[in-house]
Amino acid sequence: MASPPQLPPADDLYLTAHDTIRGKSLLSPATLGLGLGAALLGELVLWRRVDLVENQLVIIDERPTGDAATTAVLEQLRREAGQHGVRNWLAYLSTGIATDLVERRLARAGLIKRVEKRGLLGTKVSFVPADSMTAGWPATRIRTRVSRDEPLDVADLLLAGLILATGLDQHVLATLNARDRAGMFDQFRRLFPAMLQQLVAQAEASVGDAVMARRA
Amino acid sequence: MSSTATKPPGSQLSDALARDRLGVASIVFFMMSAAAPLTVVAGVVPTGLAVTGLTGIAIAFLAVALVLAIFSVGYVAMARHIANAGAFYAYVSQGLGRPVGVGASWVALLSYNMFQVASYGGLGAIAQPLFADWFGVDAPWWAFALAAWALVAVLGVRDVAVNGKVLATLLVAEIALTMIFSFAEIGADTFTASTAALDPGNLVGAGAGALLVMAVTGFVGFEQSVVFSEESREPRRTVPRATYIAIALIAVVYAFASWAMISAAGPTVVERAGAEGPELFFNLASDQLGSTALHLGHILFLTSLIAAAISFHNIIARYMFSLGREGVLPRTFGRTVPGTGAPKNGSLAQSALALIVIVAYAVFDWDPLVQLFFWGGSGGGLGVLLLVTITSFAVIGYFARHPEGEDVMHRVIAPVIGSVLLLVMTYLAIDNIAGLLGVEPGSTPALVVPLSFAVLAVAGILWGLILRSTRPQTYAGIGLGARSATTTGGFAAALNETEYPR
Repeated sequence: MASPPQLPPADDLYLTAHDTIRGKSLLSPATLGLGLGAALLGELVLWRRVDLVENQLVIIDERPTGDAATTAVLEQLRREAGQHGVRNWLAYLSTGIATDLVERRLARAGLIKRVEKRGLLGTKVSFVPADSMTAGWPATRIRTRVSRDEPLDVADLLLAGLILATGLDQHVLATLNARDRAGMFDQFRRLFPAMLQQLVAQAEASVGDAVMARRA
Repeated sequence: MSSTATKPPGSQLSDALARDRLGVASIVFFMMSAAAPLTVVAGVVPTGLAVTGLTGIAIAFLAVALVLAIFSVGYVAMARHIANAGAFYAYVSQGLGRPVGVGASWVALLSYNMFQVASYGGLGAIAQPLFADWFGVDAPWWAFALAAWALVAVLGVRDVAVNGKVLATLLVAEIALTMIFSFAEIGADTFTASTAALDPGNLVGAGAGALLVMAVTGFVGFEQSVVFSEESREPRRTVPRATYIAIALIAVVYAFASWAMISAAGPTVVERAGAEGPELFFNLASDQLGSTALHLGHILFLTSLIAAAISFHNIIARYMFSLGREGVLPRTFGRTVPGTGAPKNGSLAQSALALIVIVAYAVFDWDPLVQLFFWGGSGGGLGVLLLVTITSFAVIGYFARHPEGEDVMHRVIAPVIGSVLLLVMTYLAIDNIAGLLGVEPGSTPALVVPLSFAVLAVAGILWGLILRSTRPQTYAGIGLGARSATTTGGFAAALNETEYPR
């Protein structure tokens, strides 16, 4: 059977961060937002639109990416270029903006479905994965590759890095043994571009920040 | 003036972030919830009167407030320049070197744990007679302490933030009730305005050290304001203002309430405090106010102790999280529960320690009020005084090397004056430790309390030096907390893996 296609890292992270059946988030809204915000910024780096230089996001190409979510972020970056460091951008994107952009992108692609639940206190809108097999695939892919000593591509290294940064690894990478874990860490050091290493490290520090300030 | 006028026009990012930012009032509330007014006024003050026999506590509150306000000038200024500003050891690491910082972090952990565990002793001792009176429940003090412990442990590991509004309501009710009771005490028949309570001569007398440490105990929590340096609307104004307001508010409420209590009890105040304990504050006002007010006061006293226990528990769990992320404590403390962001392992460790202490006190039949609540609180107060003092010197050290962006008042004058005053206070406190604990000079408790701080400080410094030679990357991140990208959470640890043997 063919494997589902590899999605953009933010979409894969979103699916990984949610229960594959009921769509319940495994992360707090703030942590999820930081992870998805970093993933979208990482996608812009992969699109060769943005560089991360000493904690500043520098636009190297203003053209739209052909994808609504990253183009929206790029447009914002362009409008307020040079005014804020990457930590502020992550904080901003984590206020629900990144989550919203990624949910829309996934819904457009038919990968998650909007569900309305009517309760006593009005209607609650949530998203559930359209197909639990697809939803579970990104994490499975990383586990399989890593345990077979196969190299992850840069997009999957970004995904795996953000899985660690958000603490999701306690859910989805817990089954990796020490040798596989060491192999994955080795890939981070050898194959993951320095700019993205910095981005993921900044996201991880932001998650820690949120814990200290009781926002997580 | 509209609040948007100072920002770059039309910055969606600034506007969105500003919406979540905290104002002065929220920060003051947060700081004072750890200070727990009724716990201090009805708990620490009468117990302290009984144990030390000293009546000059009101002036001590005012004096300590002044010193802490002077200290805070440099403290909040430095908070603007460093990461992980909520933790004393971050200041010490940057101002006096990382090994000293590690020592400070361990002293801080012990101090906060002493406060936290002390609140269980107070709660048990106070709840026991109240529950017997209200419900006819005849249970030992440790049963109530364990019930509170279970509540704090569950809330802590799930990181249920006690709703800010609930906390604020309780706090306002506590302060209002403290003031009402104090005014009622002024109306008591036995009331004669006490000059002893306000006599500055107390501050140079034989018991000065004990009084000052008791007063410091009342202010613990004030240092937490800077946690919100990056969360506040205007860091340069909001945090300093909140800090000074909280210190002033605490000083006025505590000084007034303790003066009213000491005055109302008259010349036999020390004997009455010994006989009536924490009930003294309530008894003195009950004639004027009747039983409803008395019950309300008792309920708020209990909630105040629980709030203090929760708030110190959370501070400790986050301290351990921050140290775990840096690699100073085992890395496992740097993990959180993904779904809630709760620093789970720090929380579990704190709960385990508290359980051991409660059980030990129950088994050995030690006194929960004096030997746990008061000794724990005073020991913690001494620890915080030591930390504030060393942090004050760290502020001088830091600004000597990084003078940019602050004027001479913030960088030099206030920190130097503060450091001198704090050094004097520390000397008096250590000199007077036996008087503070109400024991013979040279007896076991009078040696154990200061020595345990010294041992931990030295051990921490040694650990810092070991890290310097064996794990340079970890060493470089000391004091930067979770905020630094060089620290070691899960991903950063992966990048730094090479420095550990596989």
